[in-house]
Amino acid sequence: MIEKNAIEEIAKMIKDEIIISANGFISRNLYDVGDSNSNFYMIGSMGLASSIGLGIALKNPGRKIFVFDGDGNILMNLGSLTTIGTLKPKNLIHVVFDNSKHASTGGQPTNSKFIKIENIAKECGYRFAFKVKNKEEMKNMIRKVMKLTGPIMILIKIKNGGKIRGRMEISPIELKKRFMKHLE
Amino acid sequence: MKKHFQEKFFDFLVDNGIENFVGVPDSTLKQFISTGIKKKKIVISTREEEAIGITAGMALSNSKSLVFMQNAGFANSLSTITSLIQLYEIPIIFLIGWRGFLKNDAPEHKKIGKIQPKLIKNLGLTSKIISEKNWKESSIWALKMNENNKSCALIIRREFLD
Repeated sequence: MIEKNAIEEIAKMIKDEIIISANGFISRNLYDVGDSNSNFYMIGSMGLASSIGLGIALKNPGRKIFVFDGDGNILMNLGSLTTIGTLKPKNLIHVVFDNSKHASTGGQPTNSKFIKIENIAKECGYRFAFKVKNKEEMKNMIRKVMKLTGPIMILIKIKNGGKIRGRMEISPIELKKRFMKHLE
Repeated sequence: MKKHFQEKFFDFLVDNGIENFVGVPDSTLKQFISTGIKKKKIVISTREEEAIGITAGMALSNSKSLVFMQNAGFANSLSTITSLIQLYEIPIIFLIGWRGFLKNDAPEHKKIGKIQPKLIKNLGLTSKIISEKNWKESSIWALKMNENNKSCALIIRREFLD
């Protein structure tokens, strides 16, 4: 399954739930196939999608908060797993799109091929952590986690591919404003 | 800043609407942080960038937030400040302990302590140095900045050695 298709499927399934998407191709793909006022796209500050998601989850306990993260991103901020696992926000669903690559800088390898990020999350105190490998498993898992109590990690093995669109036309400040308005 | 003032400083910020205090501990801010821990209002993160990310999420949720750290952690955070806080104009208050303020502070703090004022200035992060005399008016200034959707910093000098 290629990342762009995985992102499109999930965005379609979860409709207007809040999504915090990591910088790089993840945000650009989400913007391309599932733009919504309920998305907060990170441009810089690599590694922090899960932390921003945690802050939003703690302050919006009545809403489900999805984080669309990457393997390179979460490996930069593994400490975040310990903070999330300790504070245990029930409404946080942490999706990691894992291609074992730093895709947007030229496909250089990450170490995610050799370790199990989902097991680290479980050990850090996530209530559930799953790994899925294909579209069918992924769709079933999204349906399943909507009924579970978080924090939950779903690690999705993906490949790159598909056309990556250019940079977003909306300015960061506009993105922030429309997202905050949606959160109100 | 002595214990008594740090406690009053913390309470003043809470009474004036700051709901979240997230950061990495610093001995210069010890009493400030322990007051917050006693009142269950502190989140300790693993790194300063993480703390900024969490407070950014809280601020995006319209909840007033402060992030605290030592200046070593402030140096860790430069890219997060430029590419998250300043890029999206997210209003948070930074509280930074100034190690290396005294010329004879521990060796690891000397360089950062020396370049800190220039770093903050070059970042374009408006700041005030707070003391036992001016903490209240400086807090009011920071709260006002926050109200106007601007990030800013309050700096506490490390005026003792251990």
